[in-house]
Amino acid sequence: MKIFHWLNHCCLFSAVVMTLGCSNAPKNVPSTGPAPQPAPSFYKVDPATAGSLTGTIKFSGKKPSPKLIDMREDPACVEAHHGKAYDQSLVVSSNGSVANAFVYIKAGLEGKNFEAPKSPVTIDQSGCWFRPGVLGIQTNQTLQVTNSDPVTHNIHPMAEVNREWNHSQGPGDAPLSRHFIKPEIMIRVKCNIHSWMHAFIGVLPHPYFDVSRDDGSFEIKNLPAGTYSIAVWQENLGTQEQQITVTPHTNTSANFTFKGK
Amino acid sequence: MGTPLESWQTGLAGTFPAALLPPGNTSAPLRRILLPAFILGFLGLLGGCKSPVSERPIGTAVEIKPPLGLPPVPIPPDNPPTKETIALGRRLFYDVRLSKDNSLACASCHNPTLGFTDGQQISRGVGGMGGVRNAPTVANTAYLPLQFWDGRAVSLEEQAASPIADPVEMNQTHEVSVSKLGSDPKYQSMFRDAFGSKQITIGRVEKALASFERTILSGDSAFDRYAFGGDKSALTQAQIRGLALFKDPQKGNCATCHTIDRTYALFTDGKFHNIGEGVGDEDTFKDVGRYHETRRETDQGAFKTPTLRNVANTAPYMHDGALKTLKQVVDFYAGGGNSNPYLDKEIRVIQLSGQERSDLMEFLKSLTGELPPNVGPPGKE
Ligand code: HEC
Ligand code: HEC
Repeated sequence: MKIFHWLNHCCLFSAVVMTLGCSNAPKNVPSTGPAPQPAPSFYKVDPATAGSLTGTIKFSGKKPSPKLIDMREDPACVEAHHGKAYDQSLVVSSNGSVANAFVYIKAGLEGKNFEAPKSPVTIDQSGCWFRPGVLGIQTNQTLQVTNSDPVTHNIHPMAEVNREWNHSQGPGDAPLSRHFIKPEIMIRVKCNIHSWMHAFIGVLPHPYFDVSRDDGSFEIKNLPAGTYSIAVWQENLGTQEQQITVTPHTNTSANFTFKGK
Repeated sequence: MGTPLESWQTGLAGTFPAALLPPGNTSAPLRRILLPAFILGFLGLLGGCKSPVSERPIGTAVEIKPPLGLPPVPIPPDNPPTKETIALGRRLFYDVRLSKDNSLACASCHNPTLGFTDGQQISRGVGGMGGVRNAPTVANTAYLPLQFWDGRAVSLEEQAASPIADPVEMNQTHEVSVSKLGSDPKYQSMFRDAFGSKQITIGRVEKALASFERTILSGDSAFDRYAFGGDKSALTQAQIRGLALFKDPQKGNCATCHTIDRTYALFTDGKFHNIGEGVGDEDTFKDVGRYHETRRETDQGAFKTPTLRNVANTAPYMHDGALKTLKQVVDFYAGGGNSNPYLDKEIRVIQLSGQERSDLMEFLKSLTGELPPNVGPPGKE
């Protein structure tokens, strides 16, 4: 680092001397020092060619009966959770809409290099629960982990493609920042201390993903026109895929239905 | 509380412990003392060139009797503890004059009422200068092969002088310490009684401090009475369950590093381990710990296993004071600490139920022991 700086100054200096010393010298003396890192060229979406994608995730089977979570293992959690906690592995509304499904573009964006957003994605440990329980993040985007609880948590993303890690956060501890550098669908996250705490993180090299809301709907915006494979992942129901074609300024719809057993 | 105690506790600059001051008006007697002391010191220095001042204690060596639960105290051959060196070391330990602005004594950061720690996350030196580490207890440090969190001092003698000169601790050169102490006739006689002449050298200061520290032994806790004293009712049922978890390699696995031997228990192996404490974003260490000394890659983030005796009174915990309560410590271990490339292989996720975690905490509270009567501020027993 120091040497690098020194070289830089040195080159700058000689460049200045050359420019001053000989008026005919070209204005831009090519640097002989280490070449500056070429700025990675990121793909920029042309809004004129982009469309959007919306749809709904449904489940045709019997709506699962709510399963109560027992937190008595850690009495502070019972208190922190405020009210009963139910298993969230399959949340289906009365009309069969599936919440918390992860929808993403699986293929069709190859060769495009998307810049990671500067803003972090946050996962909070609150009420002895991961919030949100399903989230998407871009490769190299910052994952910010916070603990709002009066107890210690130990977040443990059991990554298989990325590096697996776990980290302890006591009450009031500062947020932790981490990154995932490779795409991975889905990373299962647990708390090493509270066995009922789970979350899932989808890591993608692009920004085209969403998590279905309570009404089962999702929306993916600003997608360049083209043909894609769109996939949905649900913790209990598994995955589905379909081919879609997105055309400029139009909304393409893609619905998914998981059959009940 | 008496004045001597208050003066190092409140750290009022310039307030010498009353017991250390000559009676009556201070300034005149002080000047009367200073001049001869200076001349004597000067002569001493001249004399020192011909025959170096002996730093060997002259008194009869005393036996330091360990309390229940502790082994015999290791004694270096060149510093047998004597009544005189211990008394001198005790006075030095509580003396604020060892700091640049007379605001801090050793006891300011190693306070007997806080298990010889300071209750701060990170110790603050003179003028509020921020240190980087949590003050460990000095109780039972006599047994440790290496001193400091990173083991950079090989003996209590070597350790003793370093906080005095450390800019973020007492921040006073040894020359100044020697001359400040030399102006006190009480010290002159104490150094004479301890070492045969009244000259003050930093070597003598170190030896006296170390000998005093060897008497700061804490044992005879409820755990000791249970484990070594044959008193099976000394621990509660929860504590007995906690002890079993503490020792069980399949459960707490704590005793692997916080050792319990057959006839005594130090609750430390004196070695260095990375337990994943102080891992920052992206596996970085703000404090590299033992690596600082050894430059061995695998020592990154490794710190000396601290004793757990009196641990209920020595919060906050760890080299950086990051864990505030014993519950947080137990939860930290239960979760497997923080992953990093140098994590000790003995640290892993341990399956402990809520009940088991609370039993373990109860057990840690049984390690609060007695302190000898004569390790508090001098003149206070
Ligand atoms: C400003 C607060 C402060 C003062 C004053 C202070 N210490 Fe400490 N002491 C510490 C801290 C912090 C550490 C740990 C430092 C490290 O490991 O790098 C420590 C470490 C020690 C240790 C090592 C214990 C172990 O388990 O390794 C001993 C012994 C000790 N101090 C004795 C003394 C003596 C004797 C004095 C007076 C001459 C003194 N200290 C003054 C803060 C202080
Ligand atoms: C691999 C060795 C190892 C094991 C196993 C281990 N410890 Fe520790 N312990 C350490 C080290 C090293 C530190 C200091 C770490 C630091 O400050 O970074 C420590 C610190 C502590 C502290 C803080 C003490 C203080 O004064 O700051 C407590 C309390 C503690 N351990 C309790 C336990 C308990 C309870 C267990 C079992 C669940 C356990 N340890 C298992 C090595 C170990």
